[in-house]
Amino acid sequence: MSAGCISVNISIGGETLARFMPMHLLLDGEGRIVAAGPTLQRVLGGKSALGARFEDVFEVRSPGGATTVAEVLDRAAHRFRLTLRNRARVGLRGVGQRLSESGLILLNLSFGIDLIAAVGEFGLTDADFAATDLAMELLFMAEANASVTRELRGLNLRLEGARVAAEEEALTDPLTGLRNRRAADLWLERLCATETPFGLLNLDLDYFKQVNDSLGHPAGDFVLETVGRVLREQSRAEDCAARIGGDEFVVILPGRTDPDVLASIAARIIARLREPIPFEGQACLISASVGIVRSVDFPHPDAAEMLAAADRALYAAKHAGRGQARLLGADGV
Amino acid sequence: MDALLLRSLQGYVRDTFGLPVWQAVCRRAGLTVETFEPMLRYEPGTADRVAQVAADVLGRSVEAVWEDMGTHLVTNPRHQGVRRLLRFGGIGFTDFLHTLEELPGRTRLAVTEIDLPDLQLDELGPDRFEIRCQSRVSGLVRVLVGILTAMADDYGTLCVIETDDQTRILVRVLDSFHNTARRFDLASPGG
Repeated sequence: MSAGCISVNISIGGETLARFMPMHLLLDGEGRIVAAGPTLQRVLGGKSALGARFEDVFEVRSPGGATTVAEVLDRAAHRFRLTLRNRARVGLRGVGQRLSESGLILLNLSFGIDLIAAVGEFGLTDADFAATDLAMELLFMAEANASVTRELRGLNLRLEGARVAAEEEALTDPLTGLRNRRAADLWLERLCATETPFGLLNLDLDYFKQVNDSLGHPAGDFVLETVGRVLREQSRAEDCAARIGGDEFVVILPGRTDPDVLASIAARIIARLREPIPFEGQACLISASVGIVRSVDFPHPDAAEMLAAADRALYAAKHAGRGQARLLGADGV
Repeated sequence: MDALLLRSLQGYVRDTFGLPVWQAVCRRAGLTVETFEPMLRYEPGTADRVAQVAADVLGRSVEAVWEDMGTHLVTNPRHQGVRRLLRFGGIGFTDFLHTLEELPGRTRLAVTEIDLPDLQLDELGPDRFEIRCQSRVSGLVRVLVGILTAMADDYGTLCVIETDDQTRILVRVLDSFHNTARRFDLASPGG
């Protein structure tokens, strides 16, 4: 024994032993269970375990090679680990000692880290643990931890929701409900980076200035809202319709590169926008010019290059007379 | 500490009086948010200020609001967490009182961020206790009174809980077995 221990022989009654070590086990020289502390008795399934052999009740996990309690005591340097043969989920660890006077073997067991599983499995209460046992603290910790983790998970979800909403707001044009310039740039960059073929319509309103000048800004705003609605109606869910300037719009169409299809979409949009837009008893008359480019016309398309080309196509359309659409290739034709 | 109290206050007012009342409290307190996060930090003094506004809106004393909130923390059936954590304190109510001093230490062990105020328990005589609590938040003693009341009930104990100032609580246990204690399984129902 280590220094500091005074060698005093004491005798200790069964009741005191049960209170101090509710998970002790007393075995006779043959390895038969003579007595068990109240908590361990509950774990072993009551008094029926009395008289059973150690090795029939427990499987020894360490020290390796030991099966009987005698082997455990001979080989275990410090402590041993067991599992219950009938409840493999719960592990036990312990220390043991031969009591010289009586010839009995005393083991004191504990659940160790399997405490939480054991509490659930055997329906243990705080009265089942010694007053000095840290079992309650461990259970408290586990539950407190679980609560905090739940709380953090909730916080993460709420923050994520707020982030998505903020992002959505940052990419939306508030007047028309379309995407904004930044969103359109991000779309183009992503499509170029992933080499996804796409068509791009660059749309500029004709006569918009006249509406603004003659009928006022509220009429102009109403026209822009109407354009937003038309573009949303004329594009698919996977397309991106954006307002990128005062009266300038783009529609990005992933997977659409057929010139005829793109031209007919542009023609449909122009036709819709030529319809008079009624505003407070007046009719606002506008039209649109559309420049069309296709990513497949460029060997290494990038966002800026595509937008510049679409702008040239738009310029060509305006030149050809208003209310027109023009497709432009990389060669500028 | 303010964050935990604000979150609890939010839960109490919303559960008991409804969301519109809580929104009214937030507006009157000039808050920019309606949701307090227990894991974030708020300016010291916010909890006392918002509780006072809640008391004004509800037409009650701020002490009564804090006390009811403390009770709601333990009895609210939607989350059993606080009650369960407190029940780990002991087999009976007096046992529980004796472990109150350990509560801040236990909590710090689980979450270092949470700094509960130090609690000191003195046994004045058989079944008579004095609890002292020093906190920046002046309502905290009242919260503790609410919690103790609910826990006494949980343990089936009849007792008188009084407080005369902002730091001291007197507990007189009249009958430890007045009622059957509510059942408490150590194993968490969540598994």
